[in-house]
Amino acid sequence: MIGTVRVENLSKIYRVHNRKGLFKSEKSSVEALKSVTLEVDQGEIFGLLGPNGAGKTTLIKILTTLLLPSGGEAWVNGYNVQRHENEVRATVGCMLMGERGLYWKLTGRENLEYFGALYHFSPSNRRQRAQEILDLLGLGDIADRTVETYSSGQKMNLAFGKALINDAPLLVLDEPTNTLDVPSASELRAIVRKLNAQGKTVIYTTHIMTEAETLCDRVAIIDYGQLLALGTVDQLKASLKRDQIIRFEGVIPSKAFTAVQQLPQVQQATRTSTNGGNLLTVVTGNGHAILPQLIEILTANGTLIQSITPQEITLEDVFIAKTGRTLAEDTREK
Amino acid sequence: MASARMRLINISRYPGQLVLDIVIPIVFAAMPILLGRATAGPNAGEVFKENTGTSNYVAYMLIGASAFTIVSYAFWHIAYWLRWEQETGTLEILYLSPTHRIWVAAGTALYSCLRGIFSALVAYLLGSVILGVNPLQGDIGLAFLFILVGIIPLYALTLLFGAVVLKVKESNALINLMQWGVSFLMGVFFPITVFPTLLKVMALLFPPTWMTNGVRSALLGVGFFFGSWYKDLAVLWGFLLFAPLFGYWVFTSAEASIRKNEGMGQF
Repeated sequence: MIGTVRVENLSKIYRVHNRKGLFKSEKSSVEALKSVTLEVDQGEIFGLLGPNGAGKTTLIKILTTLLLPSGGEAWVNGYNVQRHENEVRATVGCMLMGERGLYWKLTGRENLEYFGALYHFSPSNRRQRAQEILDLLGLGDIADRTVETYSSGQKMNLAFGKALINDAPLLVLDEPTNTLDVPSASELRAIVRKLNAQGKTVIYTTHIMTEAETLCDRVAIIDYGQLLALGTVDQLKASLKRDQIIRFEGVIPSKAFTAVQQLPQVQQATRTSTNGGNLLTVVTGNGHAILPQLIEILTANGTLIQSITPQEITLEDVFIAKTGRTLAEDTREK
Repeated sequence: MASARMRLINISRYPGQLVLDIVIPIVFAAMPILLGRATAGPNAGEVFKENTGTSNYVAYMLIGASAFTIVSYAFWHIAYWLRWEQETGTLEILYLSPTHRIWVAAGTALYSCLRGIFSALVAYLLGSVILGVNPLQGDIGLAFLFILVGIIPLYALTLLFGAVVLKVKESNALINLMQWGVSFLMGVFFPITVFPTLLKVMALLFPPTWMTNGVRSALLGVGFFFGSWYKDLAVLWGFLLFAPLFGYWVFTSAEASIRKNEGMGQF
């Protein structure tokens, strides 16, 4: 039970007010989660992927008791998130808001000791635990400076340290490498792997596909509040055949993109901007058969093709295939 | 205790604010005092005594200003604290920990108490020296008793108000409205006996009104509302027993409502 998460038919509906002018507003509702069911096993690193507004943060907030669900149930470390909130909070370490969530006029050490007090540590245990975390994260040199003097990366590291303060069996990390430079991000991932090797379960959200591919044992893809795919990275990649992904680089006008999307053999197509051009990713049932037709349609609609790349399947391709968009796009209702 | 300690450490890094804590009540009281001296004429003390029960208007207003310091800090430190934690993102941290928020609020209230009472006391003593009155007249022990008994329902009131701040996600305007409204009703510079009946009744529903009058009566002999100190203290005790329960209920109801919709920490 410890280090596990179980979610059954979890749903969440937000009531929102849409402003219409000075003093008028209109009520509506947003279904952020739709009957999500999943399990996180003890000792795994579980990735949660989805664009902005997909429902990842809503799911995490329910699991960490910040939010009550509208329907369904969830258990964290064997405790029901609605009936045993304090037990859930005591057994989870969270990093949810990055460098926010720190007291800027306190030093790094004072922050960690205060958080230790919130987890009912004795004064001597707080000091010891704070020192252990500062040593682990290499923040010893700046521990006695106020947080307002830290760089963004140092604040993120301290926020990660806060998640470790109670030595919880389950860690929930929401984009922990945001704003970190490459070496620091790599170090943090190494620490996550080390903690996982010690038996900790980790729920990890990220926008960086390569990070999910290299770090996570299993990945869940969420979009529009629904669980679209769940499995190991290899299982998810295997669900797409190699010749189903074709990438075109060049100058691709909107009308060409629209024409490609309208082809019945095209399952998904996305167009993103690159330096000086576009990248068109096409997911199709049979790449070899459709390739001549794609080239003809693109060139007939003014496309300047610079390269055509049969693609090694990546997690991003799986994501695009399942959701029809890239991670960068916003799912939130307009 | 950790919450109170953390906030004391925090404020120690704003030394200017600590000086302001003492200066503002003195300046605040000095303005009506000096206005009275300039305009009230030679019988000012006697006229003041007719309506308030004491000719010592300097001490009367200094006590009012100092009591207002305690009340004002209570509202700002609790309600604004919640909004500040929401905006900086640390409110989520509090709600992610197994420590009940009421204990964190109690720690913040302890910090606010210490800071408010210290500032009020220093301002009163210093103001008395500057304006030339004896600050240690009357029954000091009884005055402190009224403060100690009155402070708990005061903070219960601020918890209730804090629930409103959490829910509407607005603080400055609401707190200003509340603190000036309460200061008006508690009679910072005048006796509430001059109010029309409805306002008088409203004023008597606020614990700070009883606390302020209790301190004034103890030190200056202006007269307790019910004629004796133990009757007025009994009313404050009634507030002390009821107000925290009511404040806790409103606060936890607001929390539950927020967690059902947008979640804690949404700012």
